[in-house]
Amino acid sequence: MAKTIMVVDDSASLRQVVGIALKGAGYEVIEGRDGVDALSKCTGQKIHLVVCDVNMPNMDGITFVREFKQLPLYKFTPVIMLTTESQESKKEEGKAAGAKAWVVKPFKPEVLLGAVAKLVMP
Amino acid sequence: MLSRKTTDTIKSPPALWRGLCFWDTVGFTAPTRTRRRQTTVGWHPVKNKSGFDSKLLLPFGLAGGGALGTIVAGWSAWGWYTILWAALLLAAAAWSVRGGLPGGGGEHAMIEDYLAARERFGDAVLPIWCRHIENSRSQMEEAVADLAGRFSSIVDKLDDAVHVSSHDSGKGGGNAMTEIFSRSETQLGSVVTSMKSAMSSKQAMLAQIKDLERFTRELRDMAEGVASIAAQTNLLALNAAIEAARAGPAGRGFAVVATEVRNLSSRSAETGRNISNRVGLISSAILAASQAAELSSEQEDKSMQSAEGMIAAVLQDFRAMTDALVQSSDKLKQDSIGIQGEVGEALVQLQFQDRVSQVMAHVRENMEQLPALLRDNRDRYNADQVLAPLDPGPLLGDLQKTYAMAEEHAVHSGSSHAAPVAAAADEITFF
Repeated sequence: MAKTIMVVDDSASLRQVVGIALKGAGYEVIEGRDGVDALSKCTGQKIHLVVCDVNMPNMDGITFVREFKQLPLYKFTPVIMLTTESQESKKEEGKAAGAKAWVVKPFKPEVLLGAVAKLVMP
Repeated sequence: MLSRKTTDTIKSPPALWRGLCFWDTVGFTAPTRTRRRQTTVGWHPVKNKSGFDSKLLLPFGLAGGGALGTIVAGWSAWGWYTILWAALLLAAAAWSVRGGLPGGGGEHAMIEDYLAARERFGDAVLPIWCRHIENSRSQMEEAVADLAGRFSSIVDKLDDAVHVSSHDSGKGGGNAMTEIFSRSETQLGSVVTSMKSAMSSKQAMLAQIKDLERFTRELRDMAEGVASIAAQTNLLALNAAIEAARAGPAGRGFAVVATEVRNLSSRSAETGRNISNRVGLISSAILAASQAAELSSEQEDKSMQSAEGMIAAVLQDFRAMTDALVQSSDKLKQDSIGIQGEVGEALVQLQFQDRVSQVMAHVRENMEQLPALLRDNRDRYNADQVLAPLDPGPLLGDLQKTYAMAEEHAVHSGSSHAAPVAAAADEITFF
């Protein structure tokens, strides 16, 4: 059974691009437009990994990860931050929130898929 | 005269002098001719050493002179009326200096008008600029999202095509097709062998039928032998009857035997003829059957050769088709690998929209602050009579705070082109 990955990004084109890369590797993808939208979709379904942007309206990625990790079902679900941010201070914020990896856009599909394969839940 | 001022702000010019030009970024120029010198912070009027502005000399000089002349010339004739008239002249001069007359003072009103106009300019222009930027940004996002969606659809269809092709040419691809062909060739070969075996059986049967001809010939010879024996027996019986007649009554019994023998010989001859006839019929039937079987065998042989040729042709076509399918399948797979590489590159390039969108959003948000900045500058002037120059520092500082990408910082620092490079695998930070 294909594993499910949640892609959270306010850019529809980025969600599409990440979706193409992940679906091509056999993953199922569910999308969130921002932190609030993504949290509303965390309703008990199995999510094996989250790929999340940082700068988003309504709820930014760091806050989303922090709140996502508070949900008992997703406490151990790994999160990859996929963002244009490359500042070390932001990375530290992501790490403190519970993210497992930090990938800077633009990304090569094989690079993202490598990180996903390494972290995705069994 | 104007001189350099060393602080960021200057006091608004006093009402007694006018025609100053001001120092903001728009480059306002006052209507009167006054020398000015630009400094880092603005322009500042300078009074003479006595603290009295030379501009006051003309109106007050003329009014004072007029008043004095009026008093001197008209005191004797009109007395206190002359003093009143001189006072009116001085009052007019003072009113003129404060800006009551055209071309008089009014710098404060002029500055206020200018600041208000500048604020209106910002209020009118910047929202439109920002809407254009936002509209372009959202259009670009929609278009790229649509483009990515179509791209995704193309990739899916391509994957389906490759999958179907692989499935059609067997799970193992070309090798499976070759195996299927070999198996079909073997199976058809065994069919041909079995048909050839059937043909051999028929040939054996035909040989046996031909052997029957030989038997019928022997039977015919035997029938002729019987007829010959019957004829000789008849002749023998005839001689026996003659001898019995010659013997007289003693030979009567022998005559009876001779007659019976003769009858038997007649019947033997008849039986021999019948056998011969029947053998002839059987022989004809066997000959006909043999000829028919031979003809059938020849036709079957021809059919067999034809079928064999057709099977060979079909197998050849099948092999050609299989080879072509295997080649096209291999080519499709190679193309698919190439396309996957192209897809990867395209996915990197499609991400430019997100970056550009972020930069445009940052610039738009920063531009939206400008009307408030102009309004604040005007309010400050109204409150403190301090005409502060517009300082780009805080605005650019706010813009810099919104930067998320290294290229934004590079462009801010003066780089005209800072194209991003896709992150390599070793640039991932694992926590």
